[in-house]
Parts: sequence; C-alpha cells; structure tokens
Amino acid sequence: MWERTLQDLIRGLRANKADESKFIAKAIEEIRQEVKSDDMVLKSGAILKLTYLDMMGYDMSWASFHVVEVMSSPKLHLKSVGYLAATQSFDQDTDVLMLTTNLLKKDLTSSPTDIALTLNGISHILTPDLARDLSPELIKMLTHSRPDIRKRAVLVLYKVVSMYPEVSSQVISRLKDKLEDPDSGVIAATVNVLCELTRHNPENYLALAPPLFHLMTTSSNNWMLIKIIKLFGTLTPYEPRLVKKLQPPITDLISTTPAISLLYECVHTCIIGGMLQGSSGDSLARTCVSKLAGFIQDSDQNLKYIALLAMVKIVPSHPHLVAQYQDTILASVSDQDISIRMRALDLVSAMVDETNLQSIVQQLLSHLVTDTSTSTLPTAAQSLAHHTVPTSPQSAKPSFPSPSASPAYRLTLSQRILQMCSQNTYENVTNFEWYLSVLVDLAHIANVDIGAQIRDQMVDVVGRVKAARRYAVKLMFTLLSEDAILRNAPEEGSCSEVLWAAAFICGEYCSELVDPQKLLPLILQPEVVNLSPDIIAVYIQAATKVFGFWATEVAQRWTDDDLHEVKGIVQMIIERVGPFVSSPHIEVQERAANTLQLFSFILADLNAYRPRMTENALDESSASFAESTFSAEPFFPKSLFLIHPLFSSYELNPVAQYAQESVPVPEGLDLDAWIVPPRLEPMENGDKKEGGKGKKKQQEENGNGYNEDELVTLTPQEAEVETEEERVERERRRAERLERLRDDPYYIMDKIPRNHLRSSSYQSSPEPFYIDRVGEMPTGAISAHVSGSSPSSRRSTPVPGSPSPVPTRLSSGLSSSISSFPQYEVTDEDSHPNTPSTPEPVKVQSKKKKMTGSGSGSGKKKRTKTAAAVLSS
Amino acid sequence: MIHAVLIFNTSGVPRLTKFYTPVHLSVQTLVQKIFSLVYSRPAGLCNFLDAPELEPYLAQNEEGERWRVVYRSYATLYFVFVIDGAESELGILDLIQVFVESLDRAFENVCELDLVHHILAEIIQGGLVLETNVDEIDNAVQVTAKLRKDSYAASNPLALGGGLAPRGSNLQTPLGWLTGKLTGVGAR
Repeated sequence: MWERTLQDLIRGLRANKADESKFIAKAIEEIRQEVKSDDMVLKSGAILKLTYLDMMGYDMSWASFHVVEVMSSPKLHLKSVGYLAATQSFDQDTDVLMLTTNLLKKDLTSSPTDIALTLNGISHILTPDLARDLSPELIKMLTHSRPDIRKRAVLVLYKVVSMYPEVSSQVISRLKDKLEDPDSGVIAATVNVLCELTRHNPENYLALAPPLFHLMTTSSNNWMLIKIIKLFGTLTPYEPRLVKKLQPPITDLISTTPAISLLYECVHTCIIGGMLQGSSGDSLARTCVSKLAGFIQDSDQNLKYIALLAMVKIVPSHPHLVAQYQDTILASVSDQDISIRMRALDLVSAMVDETNLQSIVQQLLSHLVTDTSTSTLPTAAQSLAHHTVPTSPQSAKPSFPSPSASPAYRLTLSQRILQMCSQNTYENVTNFEWYLSVLVDLAHIANVDIGAQIRDQMVDVVGRVKAARRYAVKLMFTLLSEDAILRNAPEEGSCSEVLWAAAFICGEYCSELVDPQKLLPLILQPEVVNLSPDIIAVYIQAATKVFGFWATEVAQRWTDDDLHEVKGIVQMIIERVGPFVSSPHIEVQERAANTLQLFSFILADLNAYRPRMTENALDESSASFAESTFSAEPFFPKSLFLIHPLFSSYELNPVAQYAQESVPVPEGLDLDAWIVPPRLEPMENGDKKEGGKGKKKQQEENGNGYNEDELVTLTPQEAEVETEEERVERERRRAERLERLRDDPYYIMDKIPRNHLRSSSYQSSPEPFYIDRVGEMPTGAISAHVSGSSPSSRRSTPVPGSPSPVPTRLSSGLSSSISSFPQYEVTDEDSHPNTPSTPEPVKVQSKKKKMTGSGSGSGKKKRTKTAAAVLSS
Repeated sequence: MIHAVLIFNTSGVPRLTKFYTPVHLSVQTLVQKIFSLVYSRPAGLCNFLDAPELEPYLAQNEEGERWRVVYRSYATLYFVFVIDGAESELGILDLIQVFVESLDRAFENVCELDLVHHILAEIIQGGLVLETNVDEIDNAVQVTAKLRKDSYAASNPLALGGGLAPRGSNLQTPLGWLTGKLTGVGAR
C-alpha cells in the first residue's frame, strides 16, 4: 500500500476515465486501510480523499468516527480537514456527533482560528442536543474581542435557535445588542440572522423594529439594507403601524437608490408588506407597478424574471394597474427562456378575468399547436433530425430546443389552461361552447398525459351547464367518430381518457342527438378493445343507454318496418359486446354480461314478436282470447321499453360538496345501536367457535344466513327454554368436538382463558363507526393492525356479532379457500413455535378458515342441527 | 437562506457541492438534474433556473414558495446557488460574483485542493452570508491559509511545499484544477 494524496487520486481519476468505478473501488479500499492508521497525517489524507469522493456521490458515512479523530487533531492543517469532512458528510443522524460535545467545547476555547473553524463547523453539524449543551459557550462568543469571531457566533446562533428554541428569548435580546456592535460586519450578520428568524414567527421580533428602522435610515450598506427591507416586509403584516412609518423612507429609497437589487426589494416589500393599501398607498402602488413594468421591458432577462415574480404578488390587490401591461406580460409567455415563461404563466393565471380569458387561452394553446406540428411529425423525421445534429458544425454545443418541446412544460401549460378556465367553478368562462371546444383541442394537441383532467372537466361542465349539453353532445359525437385518438390510445399522451367523457356524455344526454342509433356502431367498433378497461366499461354502458333511448323513440312511432332495423342493431350489440364478457377486467366483464343478458332478452322478445296484421289473421279462430291479449299488448315489441327507464328515472345532477353530510339522520335511526348485538356471556362460554363457524356459513349460504345469526343472538334469551336434555346434548357435542380437534394443528385448545378471545374480538369491532371506517381503510392497514403475519387474515376475521360481514363474503365469494389455504398452513405453522403464548386472533381465524376449507362439511351440519334444535324448542 | 452551493464544470462533474440544508433525495440526482437543465440553456437567458422538471426536487414553504436556483457560468464552470425567499435574487447574483472574485484572488499562491471550501467558508456559514467584502474575504483566506501552512511546516520540517501536498512541487493550482482558466471573470 502506498499513500496517495488527493492530487494523486484526482490524477488517477483522470487517467482512468474508462474504468472509473474500478479505480475508485480500489482507492476506497486503500482509504479504508489508511484511516485505521495511527499516523494522523495519513488518516487525514485519507479523510480528505473520502471527502472528495463523497462529493462525487460515494458514501463516507462509515468513516464518521475517523472524521471525529481528525477533527480532534491539535494541528490546524489536519483539524481543518476533519471539520471540512464533518461539514460535508455529517447529518442529524450521525451518531458520533454525541461524542463531539467536549471536543467542540475545547475547540471553542482555543486560538481564534480554531474557534472560527469550530463555529463554522458547528453551523453545519448542530443537533438539538449539541445546541442545548453548547448554547452557553456559543452565546458567550458574542462578546469575543475579535469581530470575525463575533460575526460567526452571531450566525451560529441562528442554528442554535432553530435546533433548541428554548434559548430563543435569551438569544433575541443578545442579538438586539449586536445591532449596535462597533463592527459593521457583525451588524450585517445580525440582520441576516434576524431576517431568517423573523420569517418563522414574526410576532416575536416586533420589538426589534426601532433599531432596525434606525439602521435602515442611516446605513449605506446595500447588502444589509436589502435584508432590513426584506425583514420589514415580514414584520409589517403583524404591525400595521409600521406601514405609515416605513412608507416615506422606502418611497425615498425607491426614487433615489442606484442599486437595482435594493430598488427591487423595496418594491417587493411594499407589495408583500401591505403598504399599497389606502389612499397613501395608491400612488406608491402606481410607482411600484411602473418600476416593475420597466423591468419587464428591460433587455436584462434577470430583471424581467424578478419583475414577473413581484407582479404576481401585486395582481390580487391592484389588478387594474397590472392590466395596463397585459400585452407586455403576454409577450413574456412566449419568451424563449423557460424560466421567464413559467413566471409569466404564473402571472397570467393570476390576472385572468372574464374579458381576457379567451385571448390568453388562445395564445397558450397556440404554443402547444405550433410545436406539435413539428413534434408529432412522423418519428422517422425526428430521428433523422437527431442523427443530423451531431454531424453539424455546432455539435459541440447542445442544440437548444424551444421550451414548448419539453413535455414537462407542455404538461404545466395544459394544466394551467384547465386551471385558469375552471377556477372558482368557471368564474371567468362566459361561453361554454368555446370552453368545450378548447378542451377538445387541448386533448388533440397537448401530447402529454393530461387526458384524465380534460375528461373530468368535460363531464363537470356538461353536468353543471345544461345549456351546453346539446353542443357538447354534438362535439363528443365528432370526437367519438374520429379514429385518431382511438388508434393512438395505448400511447402516452394520447389523452384517450377524453373518450371516457365523450362516451359518457353521449350516452347520458343522447336525447340531444338526432340519430342516436348512429352512435352505436362507433362506440362498439372492435378497435374499442384498445382502450383502457374503464373506458370500455363506459362505452358499453353508453351503448345500452343510447339503445334504450332510441328504442323508446322507435316504439313511439312504431311501424312494423322498424322491426328489421331494431333487430339488426340488437344483434350487432350482442355480437360486439359478447367478447367483453370474457374480459379480464371485472368492471368490463360485469357490464358486458349485464348488457348481454338484457339484449338477449330483447332479442328473444323481438323474435317472438309477430306484427299486428299477422297476429290478427292468425288469431281469428280464438278471437276471444286474442282480444283480451290484444288489448293488453302494445302494438310494438314491449321490450323496447325495457332499458330506458333503467337510466332515465332520475336526472343526473351535480351534487353539492357537502350534500351527503347535510342529509339528516332519519328519526328513529340510532347509528350507535347494535345491528347484531355481540353475543352474550352464556353463548360465549357455551361455544365460542361455533359462533365463528356459523358466521362463516352465514356468508356462504346466503339463504339461511340470517336465521343463523338470529339463532346466535336469540340463544341466550331462550336459554331458559332450553331443556336439560338439550343442554346435555350440547355439552356432549362440544366435548366430542374438542376431543376430535385436539390434535388438529389448526385448532388452538382453549388453554387461554375465554375472555382473551372475547377481548380481542371486542377490540376488533367495538363500535359501528369503527367498522364503517374499516370499509374505507386500505387493506394493508387493517391486516397489519389485526395480525402482521398473515396478509389475508382480515378477510377471515369475522368477529362474532360483527355487523360488517363484507370482508368475509369476499373471501368465500371468491372461493379463495382452495388457493389461499396452503398459505395459511405455512404462516400458521410458523407462528406456532415462535409465539406459543400470543393471544389468539390469528389462530381463531385459521380455525375458521380451516372449517371453510376441508372441514366445513361437518361443522356446517352440526350448526344446522343446533339451529334446528333451538328453533324447535 | 442559502440551501446549497454547487460548482460543476461543463461536463457535469461536480467541483464543489455544499448543502446547508439536508436534502432528502440523492444529491447526485439533484446535481445532475440541475446540470442538465442549466447546460441546455443558451447564453443570454436569465440567471434563474425555473423548470417544471425541477419542481419536484425543490422544497416548498407553506405559502407555496419554492426554493430558487440561481446560477452563473464562468468559462467552463457553473456556479449554482439554491436559495429561498429570504435571499434577494439579485443579491445572490452579486454574491456569486464575490465568490468568484475571491477564488480568483487566491489563485496566485495557494495549493490546497480544499481551498475552495475554505474560501466559501469565509463567505457563507451555515447557509447565511458571513461576509460580502472581497478584500475582507481575501484577507481572512490568506490568514488562515498561512496558519495552516505554518502548522503543516511545523510538523513536516523537511517539506518544501505547503498544505497537504508533500509532493506537490509542480502541481496545478486549485483554480487550475477547478477550471483550467478563470480569466473571463466578467462572463455570465
């Protein structure tokens, strides 16, 4: 092993560019040896190399202890390496920091250079504990004879206060003194710290206003003035009287200072400090806005940027002033610099109103359009362009694409358009037909993943704005008949989600369509399968609705010539929906199955339908019978009226946000009452497990489930009626079963007192509202709560008397017992030896599980017998 | 306050990364993200980096105000400061200039690779500005550098050079290592 210095390491890195990771792995291996050395020089050299590598992204937390060793070196040149490494690599969780308290205390009493080094280091590595332990020493440093130490001590106190707020009042009063320090650097540092502290809780610092005000009016240090002005911007909202006091000097500064940064801060503080209110503020506001407008028009892009930043803040209070510069601001939205575009976008969103919404949105859309025309060209052209770029002369410099080409920017832009239009429930939209067409345009040109938001907007608009429905349906019909989006649906940025909205709107409001049946071939075309399942489900549903509406229309003006067309369409629907019945997506499958059944029924009816004429002719022989039927039968196939009422009974309206909450609880309904009371003591004692089984079975056999439950709850009340014989019989059966199950690994014998079980069951289902919440909780959370070991345990945790059987039904309904059963064995057997005395929820469940699985037959029989016995008695 | 100071070259290799506030994501990812965005910006744009791609990386306060990325490029180096609303945007641009001038002054007579850190420590401490006067900074840098050198010499009486570079007779200076050339200080 030969020692390399950091220079050697860097040289080596350059020489080994091709195999950098290997070289570094080797270097770190050497360093691992070197840090263990007793030679402090070697050790610190190693730490320095590590610090460099840490910057390159290689972990050095393993060397923390060695860093502390180097920090403790008495030699400055080594110590500073240690402190540097600490500031670079330590964080709050670095455990060796606990060991540093005394070292830091000692270094704080050393030479001024050491103290400076230490203070700088402490600013990085301070923890709450260190802050508590070191605060006396650090506060003492404020009176050090050397200003450079005082300066650092002031700054370190910011960290102390944020880590250990208990000292803040003490620190604040000391800092106030420091505002009168003889050294201007110390004063500036104090202002810096106060500016930070004030942002967290301004009320505590109002007392500092007078000295700060004095400084503001006397100092000429622009760095410090900026901070003081900023500080006042935070304070004034908490002390309105400051406004009056500050207005004159700040107005003065605005008109006199040559420093643009200071001027800008003054303007900014006027805005955020609420100094532009009232009559006196008006002229100041005008000055501010005109200054900012000047910045926006300045050739310096930086001024443009910050001016936009400040303008956003003044818009809410003085929109009319900003509106004067609308054109300039709108031009900034098209700036080549994305930073400026983003800020201009902020500003534009803030200043949008009824009058300018359309023009602004139109302009933003045009950004998306122009660029789409190039970026959606065949990808071949794009890749060609890619190939040509490197060979061109400027290949050394990267080509700078227009910001509009960046997907992230396009997404932001699209979101902004939606947000501008929809804010405060479409406050600024005057023409919803326009907005709907904007939404459709956006879906076409956005080329980013914004489809879901557009979809929601479409549905929302159409739901809320009745007057727009006719237009919407027409527009959506067009959307559904275009195949571009459908074809591109699987691609990212295709916005195919809008088809969801289109299908829903056309289906729900199909009465607005002239020829609704023309929609059916569109939404049932075979390519629909490319869409995502939730859209397919809506398509199927829409098809049903559209048919339902059209069928009633046809029925009302029925002529027997229609039969052919109707039959054709019904057959088409059956044929197209058919394949979806086997869809792997449950929602699609269910809707398809429903639809299929309904339409099979209709088709059967249509097939059975005999046109009136024929019927009359045929039925002449049995005229009396025919007459009676004829008068009851309509003259069109009845089934045409089958579907429409399913959808049209209620109008679909937007629901107010708090509608559900304001529904009163009906009189006589006690939400806290037990639906199924927990079983009482005798039954509990009598047979705990049977209860569980009964529950399980109840879910399996929907039919007599309720009886079972009644039995469970009724039993105790009827206990007196239970004859001695029956009791003996029951006891005997119980003993028998216990005997039988003794060696069954899935049963835990009741060595644990009963109330264990009971208490656990009470815990899992104490009150109705808790169970309500169960329904909403993610599965993981509950199962983790009940039992960490078995993921599906919740499903099989039907607590006796639990009024929420849904989870259980799930498990048995999905007939999961076979497939999931082996898992149970495994988890359970695992838990047996490890946790012999754990209380029982898991095990009780597994028993039940077992019963549903292989042993369910006997259990069920027994249960039924008991039921019969009790009921008969 | 200032949350981070980064220097990287035009290849994206970090020359200095200093975080005053811990970030809860990979520092490398952040540096690379900032680099790729800064590097793709042509000259003449503003010195503030705003991009939708960057937003998830930057912390946000209660009022929705995000950290801001301010950068300047000098020759082959990018100087990037990540700040919050307590700092003046334009002031930070000046501070970067102060930093670069201080580095430039130290150019002549030092050869410690960690010097950049030491110079930064004379300007910023714990994310707060310590000193903005280039002369003061330079003075402090010189004094502590000399003390480190003395300390080194005292424990290595036979060494010729200074600092931690015993075999550094014809070493590059730190700024040579840093940038190759730092003559174009006026550059953006």
